[in-house]
Amino acid sequence: MSASMGTELRAEPNLTPLLDIVFQLITFFMLVINFSQENFDARIKLPVAGSARPQDDAAKLNDEKLVLNIDSQGNLIWNGQVLTAEQANQKIKFEAQIARQNIKTLRGKLVEGEALPARVVIRADRDTPFAPIFAMIKTCQNFNYEKFDLKAMNGP
Amino acid sequence: MKKSRGLEIEIPITPMLDMAFQLLTFFILTYRPAPTEGQFSMNLLPAQPAVDITKEAPKDNATPSLDASLRTLKTTLRANPNGLIGEMTLGDDQVPGLDELKTKLEGFVNDPNLSFDQAVINVDPQLRYSEVMKVIDVFSSLKPKPLTKISFSELSDAPGGAAP
Repeated sequence: MSASMGTELRAEPNLTPLLDIVFQLITFFMLVINFSQENFDARIKLPVAGSARPQDDAAKLNDEKLVLNIDSQGNLIWNGQVLTAEQANQKIKFEAQIARQNIKTLRGKLVEGEALPARVVIRADRDTPFAPIFAMIKTCQNFNYEKFDLKAMNGP
Repeated sequence: MKKSRGLEIEIPITPMLDMAFQLLTFFILTYRPAPTEGQFSMNLLPAQPAVDITKEAPKDNATPSLDASLRTLKTTLRANPNGLIGEMTLGDDQVPGLDELKTKLEGFVNDPNLSFDQAVINVDPQLRYSEVMKVIDVFSSLKPKPLTKISFSELSDAPGGAAP
């Protein structure tokens, strides 16, 4: 009589479908991840306005933008750093110079005092006093920015 | 006669699954959904004589013959010590709240004998931005036609507004 001693039952789960699902999830997160911080500063709590409408996708792609994040003290936040009023002025002036240079490069010439096509996107905290925001708007106007987008949340 | 059996090569996918879970964990931890943001788009021209409401504005196709002062609604917002709206006037009339502001504005805008097509909002420097946005929200939600030509100026004589 022969008997096979120690025969083990081995159950091997099939990992292939699990790997497929994991790759699906990875692909999803890779597509939605956004490493860019400069347009979205979590320190700023936008005000709520029901009739504020999201920008349509075509405008998002076509328009040049200058995004100004303003905290509740009225300071400009640029690349995560809080700037003084003088630094903010210099930064806006520098961005305006770059925009003018781009226009000269594309068009060949720029009329002195011509309005810049870029839009200034103002993301200000809901508790910011109006004075520093108005000062920022006037600074931008001094450098020929005329198009402004005031950001707000649609709901709380 | 012996049949030759085919060689079966098993690829261990457990390490690959481990790496895939590592990647998934990384992306889950770094994912941050961006909240939906809306906006009010405006053309805010720098202060010029043509923008001054006491002087004649550039001709508009809608109302070519009217002086700018007759086409401009003037709203004044004064802040209370908390930065909220303490006093609000539309033209020369005091308005108690945002609902009343909306009712009055719709009355002006829908009146065929009146021709307001733009607004100037004079804002107390101490007024909170959220309060200003509430007023802009009212202007943008007027029916049937919202008033979208808005400009701002800063109140120079603001003492801080009325107490609540």
